[in-house]
Amino acid sequence: MKTIFQFIRRYKWPAAIAFFLMLLELASDLIQPLFMARMINEGLLEENLHNVAFWGGCLFALALFSFISGVLNSFFSAHVAHSFGFDLRKALYSKIQSLTMATYLTFPTSGLITRLTSDVTQTMNIVFMMLRIAMKAPLMTIGSLIMAFVINAKLALILCVSFPFLLIFLVWMVSVGIKLFAQVQQRLDFVNRQLQEGLQAVRLIKAYMRGQYEESRFLSVAENLKFDTIKATRVMEIALPVLQFVMNISLLIVIWVGADAIRDNDILAGDLAAIINYAFRMTASFSIFSFIIIAYARAKASAERIEEILNVEEGLEEVQKNKAPVLENFSIRFDNVSFRYPTTEQYTLQNLSFSIESGEKIAIMGATGSGKSTILQLVEHFYEPNSGEIFINDQNIKDIPLQQLRKSISYVPQQSLLFSGTIVDNLRWGQNDASLAQIIDATKKAQIHHSIESFDEQYETTIGQRGINLSGGQKQRLAIARALLKPASLLILDDSTSALDVATEQKLWEALDQEAITMLVVTQKIQTAQTADRILLIDEGRLHGFGTHEQLMATNDLYAKIVASQQEVLA
Amino acid sequence: MKFFNYEPIITKEQIKNTSGKKKKGERAQNWTYTLKRIFDFVAEQKMLLFIVLLLVVLSSAFALIGPFIIGRMIDQFIDGSSLSQLSYWLYVLAVVYLLYSLSSYFQNYWMVGIAQQTVFRIRTQLYGHFFKLPLRFFDKRKHGELMSRATNDIETISSTLNSAFIQVVSSILTLTGTVAVMLWLSPLLTLITMLIVPLMFYGMRWITKRTSLLFKQQQAAIGEMNGLIEESITGQHVVKAFSQETEMLRQFDEKNSRIRTVGFWALTYSGFIPKVMNTLNSLSFAIVALAGGIFAYYGHISIGTIIIFTEYARQFTRPLNDLANQFNTVLSALAGAERVFLIMDEKEDEIDGENVELLGNVRFQNVSFQYDTQASSPTLSNVSFEVKSGQSVALIGQTGAGKTTIMQLLTGLYEKTDGKIVFDDMEIEEISKASLRSQMAFVLQDPFLFEMSIKENIRYGKLDATDEEIYEAAKKANAHTFIDKLPDKYDTILSADGSQISQGQKQLLSIARAFVADPKILLLDEATSSIDTVTELHIQEALEKLMEDRTSFIIAHRLNTIRKVDYVIVLNQGKIIEQGKRQDLIESQGVFGQMLNV
Repeated sequence: MKTIFQFIRRYKWPAAIAFFLMLLELASDLIQPLFMARMINEGLLEENLHNVAFWGGCLFALALFSFISGVLNSFFSAHVAHSFGFDLRKALYSKIQSLTMATYLTFPTSGLITRLTSDVTQTMNIVFMMLRIAMKAPLMTIGSLIMAFVINAKLALILCVSFPFLLIFLVWMVSVGIKLFAQVQQRLDFVNRQLQEGLQAVRLIKAYMRGQYEESRFLSVAENLKFDTIKATRVMEIALPVLQFVMNISLLIVIWVGADAIRDNDILAGDLAAIINYAFRMTASFSIFSFIIIAYARAKASAERIEEILNVEEGLEEVQKNKAPVLENFSIRFDNVSFRYPTTEQYTLQNLSFSIESGEKIAIMGATGSGKSTILQLVEHFYEPNSGEIFINDQNIKDIPLQQLRKSISYVPQQSLLFSGTIVDNLRWGQNDASLAQIIDATKKAQIHHSIESFDEQYETTIGQRGINLSGGQKQRLAIARALLKPASLLILDDSTSALDVATEQKLWEALDQEAITMLVVTQKIQTAQTADRILLIDEGRLHGFGTHEQLMATNDLYAKIVASQQEVLA
Repeated sequence: MKFFNYEPIITKEQIKNTSGKKKKGERAQNWTYTLKRIFDFVAEQKMLLFIVLLLVVLSSAFALIGPFIIGRMIDQFIDGSSLSQLSYWLYVLAVVYLLYSLSSYFQNYWMVGIAQQTVFRIRTQLYGHFFKLPLRFFDKRKHGELMSRATNDIETISSTLNSAFIQVVSSILTLTGTVAVMLWLSPLLTLITMLIVPLMFYGMRWITKRTSLLFKQQQAAIGEMNGLIEESITGQHVVKAFSQETEMLRQFDEKNSRIRTVGFWALTYSGFIPKVMNTLNSLSFAIVALAGGIFAYYGHISIGTIIIFTEYARQFTRPLNDLANQFNTVLSALAGAERVFLIMDEKEDEIDGENVELLGNVRFQNVSFQYDTQASSPTLSNVSFEVKSGQSVALIGQTGAGKTTIMQLLTGLYEKTDGKIVFDDMEIEEISKASLRSQMAFVLQDPFLFEMSIKENIRYGKLDATDEEIYEAAKKANAHTFIDKLPDKYDTILSADGSQISQGQKQLLSIARAFVADPKILLLDEATSSIDTVTELHIQEALEKLMEDRTSFIIAHRLNTIRKVDYVIVLNQGKIIEQGKRQDLIESQGVFGQMLNV
């Protein structure tokens, strides 16, 4: 909870004020029975109407006072709680943004989503409660107890004899609750994951008519959440009946002893009434106790989950925009690089060594799964190689500021991922302040300008999540335009023309040929490879060949095989 | 130190609208309607609910008996009358308290079960409903925002249901019981106590007019944020590649701030309720004591009665207080529930139609289609062709020419806007979607795979496929080799990010899925675009075998992929510009013939 407290500390002044106001409210609530006792003893029993009116008036004034402090407390508590929640969410999200891809992969995305929403809400709740009513319970209890002591110490003592046991009981309940609620939150993670998956795959699910099947798959996930929620709640709800029963029995004992005391004239009837009254208040405040216990256990469980993320110290990267300029050249050298993804055992790349000059256009080819995309991801420094070194412009990639490196690379991923927003919004990811002229220049090269013009709202057309209402080829071309807009020194195309027809693709390469920057193009097509300066041939993560088309044709059997497979067979 | 720079979220007009004269009936109907719908779900457990109700009655009764007996005892002390019965009554009280604790525990015990079962049912029904909705529904919405309805919005229902029903019932019971006792003790004092009720009512209305609005806005704001988070987190690698982290943070800040502001006001106003109630509570206390004192002075009422009465007066205001709070909590649950029901009320995809066994003949007759956003240029216009059973057809054309659209129309994933689509001799509207799609296999451009084992992913094509059938299919799709190399082979669970296998390998699995499905009509949308050409050659034979005697539609840009198709359709900007037998087209050297020469 340490980290969480740091967040609350920022609002210590409003919190203190809220707390103070709550104390005022509480004080007036506690004084009430006193006034009431006075009303009875000095007014009614003495048949003094004057006193009755006087104390009645005091009660009324007290009520107004309580109201004002209560309303003000409401403002301050809400302010603290929501500002706290705001800060917490922001810190979490910033942390997530600053994770390296490698670290990021170790956290399931659904778990991150649950933390940002449900877990933050739970922690917020307890903060709010603390300032509004949480303190009431113990303070009310202690306050009532003190008042009772003032009236009659002996009876008051009876009331609180059970307290130590109750305390231990509560502490035990909390520790049990934390475990149970942590489990509930985890189930919520699974629900989120299933939801996410289902929504992403909705096309597939509908195409195969698997709606009912998916629903039944979801059933078990939802049911687990149900069972764990029931279990946690049922266990926690033992607290209140137990507390109340113990307290009530104590009260009976008080009455028993008090009756004797009245007989012996040790105590006035009104005083006993007041003590009974305070006992009632204590029992009432116990319901708040159990409330708090449950909320606290939930909050603690959620807080621990949140801190899991917030406390990540390693595997982070710089997020601030780096002022350093885009690299002027971009040469790449892999020196005996081996790599495997953190989530798998197999090595995707093994002892890979090659060297690319700045300005060269390199085609990367190889069988499905041979590691082509992985090479690109290492150049983007998404991951660290397990062994070997990578040099950019003869400088170790580890020594180049991450933001500067990424600024200098323009990347078109294999799966063109676009975001909700207008087409222009998406394109501006390449360069935030690009002018329309620059944008059109890029879209023309990417062969998508005409298609955009044919849309009703042209560049202002809104596209859905993942670019849903565009065709596969349109998405790819947009992603290419986005990349072209970026003033980079390295352009990476990860098989990003697979959805383009031959004619469009040819025009694209003609346009790209004009660019003077270094290019890495993963492709399956020999035609594309032929236009490259050299071809990097990868097989099962190892270098199989590196040379021009002619060289490889002559010396490399795998390459020859690929070429043969693409000869037009027009029977 | 920024204080209270929260913009007032709601305007006077908005508040007026919530109780505008014309809309009054409508609005009242709205929340009671939503409440009723929630209870329709709860009603499935009528019996258990009835038992809970009984227990609540019991515990409320016990709650009242206690102070009543104690009050009587105090009277006895004051009058100095005999205390011989004291121990008897104390034992009675002890039993009462025990029964009270037991009944209040069990009422909660079963209520939680009922509440969570209800939530479970709503959640699963919502999820199931997603897949009944037409694809159009998803095109413009963010996944995260929809997810929020099944999580955050349902959470509000969950926490409320756990306790609201019991609280409301017990409050009403306590209230009734208390008022009855108060009337019996002193009708006059009771009347005086009731004076504050109209005040309470008015105060509540003022507050809840605002909180109901704010709760709805709060849930909407949370949904928005959820949408943003989900999208950016799943697209993290693109965010990083384009160094858009700060931009994402900026967008997040916007949504986050909105939650804070709306939440602040919602909490603040909600917080007024106990204050108002408390104050009126104290006020009534004071008034009763004062009035009681006056009556006692004039000998109308005994002191003991007043003391008991004040105790009941407090017991009277507490349930009112609870009712007020519960009402507000229920409003927040309704805000969430409304959002859930909105989705459940969305019109489903057409599901009627006959179950038909397809022979595989397909005919398009003047079919047109357009998305509404691109109204001026229809995606398809006046497309007509005819395919006989067992023929394989290649759909060629530039990107965006309408090829995938034809496939989507064939499966009924989207509805055509004009023309006829005929299977054998039945129009597509007459055939049930279930029947249609179960006889088709659609290999999509995006080979989506689930976070299940490879085996289960392949089995998705045919749920009752045997393991042998799966291995067969994987071999035919040339996936078996790479699967065998994985440490867990077919039992390898694919991770969400799909980092264990490459994009091409995913396509192979997607093809294996189609093999297993053994469909009447096969739709291959760029099924091999990410696969290297050597591997493709291997699959080619299998694919060609798969296409034998089966109506197949193929979209591919690599002309090699379509080397053995029977029929070719060339599309351009949504229109067919050329179609015919492959041989004929090559010989006539039209558009298609020219493409091959390139």
